Amino acid sequence: MNTHRGYVLILMGWLLVSSCTIHKKDFDNPVDFKANEEKGIGAPTLVFYPITQTKSLADSIIVGAFIVFKEDSMESFAGVHLQVVFPATFLEFDTVTPGIFITDTLKATPLFTYTFDGTNTVDIFTYFLDTLKTDLIGTGHLANIIFSATSTGNDSIRYNLNSCELIDHNDVVIDLKGDRGAEVIIQ
Amino acid sequence: MGILCGNNLNLRPTFLVLNHFDRKLTHADASLKENFSNSVFEFDSTFYLLFDNIDESENPAASNMNTVKDLGEKHKVNFVLYNKIKHDGDRFMLEGQMFNTRSGGLIYRRKIDLTNYLNGQMNELNMWVGNVTGKIDDDWQKKRESILFANPENIKPEKTPMGAALRSLIVPGWGQSYSEKKVSARVWAGTESALSLAVLFNFLKYDEAAKNYLVNLGLYNNTNDEKEVSVYRAQAESDWNDHVFFSELAIAFVGATGTGWVANSIHAWIVGPRAYKNLYQKWDTQLPDSTG
Repeated sequence: MNTHRGYVLILMGWLLVSSCTIHKKDFDNPVDFKANEEKGIGAPTLVFYPITQTKSLADSIIVGAFIVFKEDSMESFAGVHLQVVFPATFLEFDTVTPGIFITDTLKATPLFTYTFDGTNTVDIFTYFLDTLKTDLIGTGHLANIIFSATSTGNDSIRYNLNSCELIDHNDVVIDLKGDRGAEVIIQ
Repeated sequence: MGILCGNNLNLRPTFLVLNHFDRKLTHADASLKENFSNSVFEFDSTFYLLFDNIDESENPAASNMNTVKDLGEKHKVNFVLYNKIKHDGDRFMLEGQMFNTRSGGLIYRRKIDLTNYLNGQMNELNMWVGNVTGKIDDDWQKKRESILFANPENIKPEKTPMGAALRSLIVPGWGQSYSEKKVSARVWAGTESALSLAVLFNFLKYDEAAKNYLVNLGLYNNTNDEKEVSVYRAQAESDWNDHVFFSELAIAFVGATGTGWVANSIHAWIVGPRAYKNLYQKWDTQLPDSTG
């Protein structure tokens, strides 16, 4: 009987302690405009995905560049200039590939180019040149930036928002309200 | 109903004794004759007068004045002794009333309620009659005390309130059942079972919601598709709200269960079995109400 009593008390205690565990409400996907908004970052926003990644020296580091709009205040755009600054102390720039969002109706790669200053800055230029549509609208994937690791380290890749630009098909600039960097850890 | 007429030959007070027993008490008259040999007793089994419950009358002391006077005149006695013995399970109650035949009023009364013992009724009758006639035998007192434990401090009750409380602390209702309080035992067991089931139900719902939240949070974090992000976030938020809701409910029910559990144990202690100390109960002699 004493054993049964012990089981009952342990069960009750376990239930009580377990029931007290409330998980942290932690939504932090950079592609989620609500998550950005909760952090005080307005839209449209330039973000990287994933927000953090841990790699080894042998791995390629792929960082996705995204434009994030708020659902109820989207604006059409046709051209993008991104200026990305990365930590050259342990990352080496490899290449840039276009994102799926800016492909045209024929799934063809649009006008897409980039320049690398040879140190730590990559400028990406892309224009939407479809025959049927003049603009893109909504949140989407603009480009993948690929790096290789040269040594171990821990730092952020970020946008230089002052040099970044978003324009519509009439070359009217759309204000960018914020940006989010991405953390890269090389072990 | 029997009549015993004590007639003192030395001009001492004389008594008419009326016995009303709910069970036959053999040798009662012979015993009285033997124990009060200085008196003469006559028996008249044709007398069937019953005194009603005098406590119900407005003035108990004067409730049978005319009857008592008539009896005194008829039997030429100074006093009437009315003795009533009533049994209740293993106990019996002796009520004695002494009336003065000159005034017809009640002048002396005694009620004794005690556990039956060997020849207890006859012994108590002797003590009562002896008390009013002034002849007390020590053996009667010793015989009465034989129903008492010589060393009451050594009595170890088979069941105790603490035993009931501990049992209810282990299983709600067990202590009440141990105390033979069947209804309250069922009520406590049912209540605590229902509360425990409510705890279990809400905990399982909490656990399910918490797991779903973690799954959907993982899916949310691992996609860069805006539509999937939106869907997984909505599901995760719903699961998060559910797991908080059911957690609070589970905690509330755990609190109620715990409180009820302790209350059930305290209740078991309160209604727990206690030694019946009323083995020997004696009322103070009641003097008749003289205001009437």
